[in-house]
Amino acid sequence: MTAPALALEGVAVNRAEVPVVHDVSLEAAPGAVTVVLGANGAGKTTLMDGIAGLAPVKSGTIRLDGTAIEKLQPYKRARAGLGYVEQARTTFRTLTVEQNLIVSQSADGDIATVYKLFPELEKRRTLQAGYLSGGEQQMLVLGRALVSAPKVVLIDEMSLGLAPLVVRRLMSTVGELAGMGIAVLLIEQFANLALDVGTHAYVLRKGGVVFSGPCEELRGDDERLHRLYFGGPPLSAAGTDAADESELE
Amino acid sequence: MLNSVIAGLTSGGGYALLGLCVVLTYRLVAVVNFAMTAVGAMGAFVMVTLTDEGLNVWLALLIGAATAALLSGVFGAALVRWFAGHREGTKAAVTVALYVALTALGLRLFGGNTTGARQFPNPFDDPVFTVGGVVVPQSVLVSLAFAVLITLGVGLMLTRTRLGLKLQALSERPGTAEVVGIPAPRLAVGVWAGVGAITMLVIVLVAPRLGSDFGALAGLISTALAVAMVGAFRNLPLTLAGGLIVGCLEGMSSSLDSIQKYQGVVPFLVILVLLWWRSRREVWDTAHSR
Repeated sequence: MTAPALALEGVAVNRAEVPVVHDVSLEAAPGAVTVVLGANGAGKTTLMDGIAGLAPVKSGTIRLDGTAIEKLQPYKRARAGLGYVEQARTTFRTLTVEQNLIVSQSADGDIATVYKLFPELEKRRTLQAGYLSGGEQQMLVLGRALVSAPKVVLIDEMSLGLAPLVVRRLMSTVGELAGMGIAVLLIEQFANLALDVGTHAYVLRKGGVVFSGPCEELRGDDERLHRLYFGGPPLSAAGTDAADESELE
Repeated sequence: MLNSVIAGLTSGGGYALLGLCVVLTYRLVAVVNFAMTAVGAMGAFVMVTLTDEGLNVWLALLIGAATAALLSGVFGAALVRWFAGHREGTKAAVTVALYVALTALGLRLFGGNTTGARQFPNPFDDPVFTVGGVVVPQSVLVSLAFAVLITLGVGLMLTRTRLGLKLQALSERPGTAEVVGIPAPRLAVGVWAGVGAITMLVIVLVAPRLGSDFGALAGLISTALAVAMVGAFRNLPLTLAGGLIVGCLEGMSSSLDSIQKYQGVVPFLVILVLLWWRSRREVWDTAHSR
């Protein structure tokens, strides 16, 4: 079995001193998309912020390629190979497309690869990022993560506010990132789209993991997803352990 | 009156430089730094103390600039370490406290206006030309040239170098800058140190003209803030113009005997007028939203 590029063990993350995520253990394999699902307020973004270093990790370990990173500053985690596509299309609006890529570029990063993946960006390379469409801004944020030559990319709700056609395009790019050998940890509001591109899924509820298993177990099963998101009577489906309203494997 | 305005321009170059330092700190690390001129004055007095002891003036200048850079860098590191997630108002309040502490320390170390006035070197005192009966010394041209150079240099650095782009990214989205691998704490401390050194050089340049005791030089922060407000804490060329405007206003006020003694109030008047002018739209919007 391939060693995980990212491994969390018993991680707890606070937001403004309030415990939001507790005892989360998960893994993301290189060359695969790992999906994290959950209802609003389940703690998905706080978990991502904790991994990236934007929210304090109170306990547990985070290993990137076997090295503990939970005590490193955010920029050192980025330099160690952690890319983060934050929610809400966080481009540097006053910089041009190319300047956005330049500030994120690592020694091994290649801007040409980004332009190959997103030809739209090359056409607008001298335009300020604030003038791009929503989809193009999201492409730029993805490209910015890619140009840092990451081992792991965290992607948080990249479909927020985008047209379905653009979302499908971006989702296929996520698959291409995994094809490059990158471990992708994906949070997505459109669960079935994410499950289509992912291999392994985790479901968070109230800051803890309530499901861990192959994506195909959840694909198309809206009723089960709903129960995992909001709780309910335990399932006794074949192939899963049902206990305390959770389906942890 | 014309003579006074021209005389005011001689101070304006220095004011413009101080305003530029305030704007740079605010733009790059989002802190209104009230301690800036006190830090610069500390470096300047270290320099002048060393020259009084017989040290070569250029070596003393270097040591003074390094002292100001170090002091400012330490303040920056403290703000980055303990106040990074706090609001701008809180950070500004911290710098006010530092200003008060540094001024008290400076007065203790170097004396007040009756005991501590020092002879700052004035290598640019020779006259260049005379306009309307006013002799314009070299220092006016030097401070104006320095101000223009800093405006252009910083503008080019921010837009044409990788470091400048990273600084812009840092000022726009500090959190995102960090997650894309920009060493935000290190860059912020670098900005603080750089501004500290530049402020010291400016203080040395303006000290022979604007006052040579610690309290007067540290107190130049009020003028620097008024000038920065003209440029809305953002626009470098407008800040440059603001320095000259405030200098001219001071010159004009000194020409009228009845208001001459209130000359020191000019920066505060400028701040009040700008606050009123910029709040017009809010007042208008509030009135029409009822």
